[in-house]
Amino acid sequence: MTSASGPLLALTGVNTFYGQAQVHFDLSITVARGHIVCLLGGNASGKSTTMKIILGLVKPRSGEVSFDGASLIGLTTPQIVRRGIASVPEARRLFADMSVRENILMGAFVRNDRDAVAQDLDKMLTLFPKLGQRLSQRAGSLSGGEQQMAAMARALMSRPRMIVMDEPTMGLSPLYVDRVLELIRTINREGVSVFMVEQNASLALDIAHEAYVLQTGRIVLSGPARELRDDPRIRDAYLGGAEAAT
Amino acid sequence: MSSWLDYTINGLIVGNVYALVAVGLALIFGVSRLINFAQGSIYLVGAYIGWVAVVQLHTPLPLTIILVAVVAALVGLIIERFGLRPLQNSVRIAPLLATIGISFVLDQLVMLTFSPNPRALPSQLPDVRFQVGGGTIGPLDLLIAGVGLTSALLLFAFLRYSKLGWAVRAASQDRDAAMQMGVDVNRVNQAVFGIAAALGGVSGLLVGMYYNQIDTAMSLQATLKGVVAEVVGGAGNVPGAVVGSLLLGLVESYGVAVFGTSYRNLFAFLLLVVVLVLRPNGLFASARQAPPEPLTGTFIAPSRPLRIPRWALLVTAAVFAILPFFPVSFYVLQTLINAWLLGMLALSLTLVAGTVGQVSLGHAALLAIGAYTSALLSLTLSVPVGLAIIAGGLMSAALGTLLISPSFRLRGHYVSIATLAIGEIVSLVILNWESVTRGPIGISGIPPLSLFGYDLISPASIYWFSFVVMVVLALLQGRLLGSHLGRSFRAIRDDDIAARAYGLSLNRYKSLAFIFGGFAAGVSGGIAAHLYSYINHETFNTQQSILALTVVILGGLGNVVGAIVGAVALVGLPEVFRIAAEYRILIYGIVLLLLVRFRPQGLLGTI
Ligand SMILES: Nc1ncnc2c1ncn2[C@@H]1O[C@H](COP(=O)(O)OP(=O)(O)OP(=O)(O)O)[C@@H](O)[C@H]1O
Ligand SMILES: [Mg+2]
Repeated sequence: MTSASGPLLALTGVNTFYGQAQVHFDLSITVARGHIVCLLGGNASGKSTTMKIILGLVKPRSGEVSFDGASLIGLTTPQIVRRGIASVPEARRLFADMSVRENILMGAFVRNDRDAVAQDLDKMLTLFPKLGQRLSQRAGSLSGGEQQMAAMARALMSRPRMIVMDEPTMGLSPLYVDRVLELIRTINREGVSVFMVEQNASLALDIAHEAYVLQTGRIVLSGPARELRDDPRIRDAYLGGAEAAT
Repeated sequence: MSSWLDYTINGLIVGNVYALVAVGLALIFGVSRLINFAQGSIYLVGAYIGWVAVVQLHTPLPLTIILVAVVAALVGLIIERFGLRPLQNSVRIAPLLATIGISFVLDQLVMLTFSPNPRALPSQLPDVRFQVGGGTIGPLDLLIAGVGLTSALLLFAFLRYSKLGWAVRAASQDRDAAMQMGVDVNRVNQAVFGIAAALGGVSGLLVGMYYNQIDTAMSLQATLKGVVAEVVGGAGNVPGAVVGSLLLGLVESYGVAVFGTSYRNLFAFLLLVVVLVLRPNGLFASARQAPPEPLTGTFIAPSRPLRIPRWALLVTAAVFAILPFFPVSFYVLQTLINAWLLGMLALSLTLVAGTVGQVSLGHAALLAIGAYTSALLSLTLSVPVGLAIIAGGLMSAALGTLLISPSFRLRGHYVSIATLAIGEIVSLVILNWESVTRGPIGISGIPPLSLFGYDLISPASIYWFSFVVMVVLALLQGRLLGSHLGRSFRAIRDDDIAARAYGLSLNRYKSLAFIFGGFAAGVSGGIAAHLYSYINHETFNTQQSILALTVVILGGLGNVVGAIVGAVALVGLPEVFRIAAEYRILIYGIVLLLLVRFRPQGLLGTI
């Protein structure tokens, strides 16, 4: 059924436009099975748009997007989600007026195995113990860090083969940043591939296997994270981002 | 005669009926950020299906209710699938305009099928009343309360415990995020339209039984009441819609108790305008919060307007100017006079809705103000007609701008609701202010058009008069749009936040647009009054407002020449094809739908 060889996710020669403005120029990215791949880039470089392309929220003008060997072009977002891609959107995007429990269970929307879903909910509470006391609270009333936990739990509930995350550490306190990165590692060890978008290069490169650097819609650098960590060009590519951060 | 308790009971019962409409509107707004102006038409369909069931099929009451709910739900599903889903990627205002077109089509179909005459809709329930405290309550009251409560419980259970219900709630909070959970938003929309339509249809049935009368005018009233209740409760807020409905029912009932029946609607729309102005998010949201989307003023389909060479315009104008010298029939001149009058209204609306982006649904009120002012001045103060018409235009400009000004801070769909309500208020004030407007009797014996003491009686002279006035207004508007002012107007429409950042005072520019537009519309109304010699509070109604909007979209929003071309086309073509009067509104509705779907930039293009 699945083609065990080849990458899990592949974007090939993607060009994306918003109206007249081109956001992606011949973008190619692959995510190998079981890997954490990180997309780095400064503001407005087109990172979030890449996520939206994968999820089918934005359609590329040309190029190919495939998951597990099958094309995603022309599929709707719900269909893509059913193929096994879950997401943690930029700024979490929880359903603010629903309870934390309902939010997490919304992640299992595509599943019909009620008992297993209930078990998975318990599993999430061991993985994210903080959420246990907050289950019946409005999701909108959670702190930023707690929201990030809830969004990750929600994404995992679909038992995805891959999770795409948009700036999972944005706006979090250092304590939470460490915890989120640790959790991403844990998730990945359990066999879920991760594609994450980050502005914070040094953090992301710590946990990623591979990384790509996006600059105004073009990949300017890519390779194993270990090598990129020491690459002086990372600093250059990032000057804008690094300066803004300091 | 009745006790306060009776008025309270009546208010709550009527509120229950409104709630059935408003909850549907809130569900739809929640998911699609759309105010469904076709909701009242479904309510109308429900009432007539109920009539067929009760009077012709003699179905028992429970079966009648189920039948109505099912047929109405089907209508809702059809509207969603064929009317709105194709517009998913269109400009924001497109679905709103489509629901207006759909409501015209449905209302007219009902009218053509059942005739516009009112019908009795017996409730099949025993006519007894029980004493409760100082008031009385009947079986129908209990039925309505029961249906309201049952629907609320069912809806609550659906939203809380069913998977689709969760999808509805998730999609109404964050559509994109819901899609990323695998929610199929089309199915959610379908569900919501089906439910809203079923509730709306049953509401129509119950109202018909409550008053033991149904007629096609119910439709617009229901939409308006539902929208009032929904906005009062907070757009998209389902429990808010219920509370808003009960509140509206009570306010109306007490208003009727104190002032009389003809004030019922006035209270409803005043409540709406007050809430819109003071708390645009409804009573239950914090006052500071900005209204939820849709709030962008931008809605015009980008297009390249057709360039018409100046000589072609001049030649066309010359041809129309000398037309009466040729042996054309009285009938042709009459038709074109109507087109010129509509053209003036369209000029006004294309400026306000097209150039400045405030989609007014109450533009006929400006006609009414101009018409009444001019008629009363010439009739009671013997002001010369020419001067009276100009005074009518000035009065429309001043009063129209004054009335709309509290709503200047609203945007998008909220502007449309506010203008619709203000239009209704104007017509209701005319109805109730008997000492000046002569109330429901209307004004008759209005002197004919005259200029410098000469009566304009011949069709040719009336033709020339209205043609020249329209051309002058069009030239003025063309000058205006070409100036610095025109650019500022368009800046406000395209991005009012940016426009404000550039230091443009939005209120001043919006006022200027409404002053100019109000004048043009008021002059048109004034001329019409002297032409018709009789007017009443229904002469200038919402149907004309929507007709004007269709004209303006047909010509191309913001397009001066387009407004006139649109008016000639919409008035003229039905005459050319000899379409019977009763089918015309239906045709207008269909034209609006087709335009929104296939050519939102109109014939000549938006500017
Ligand atoms: N819906 C849209 N319509 C038009 N332009 C858009 C839209 N979304 C994004 N853009 C533009 O596309 C470019 C890339 O946006 P994108 O959100 O992908 O950047 P990003 O790398 O995620 O930025 P950030 O670091 O700020 O999150 C930006 O210039 C942005 O303004
Ligand atoms: Mg981003």
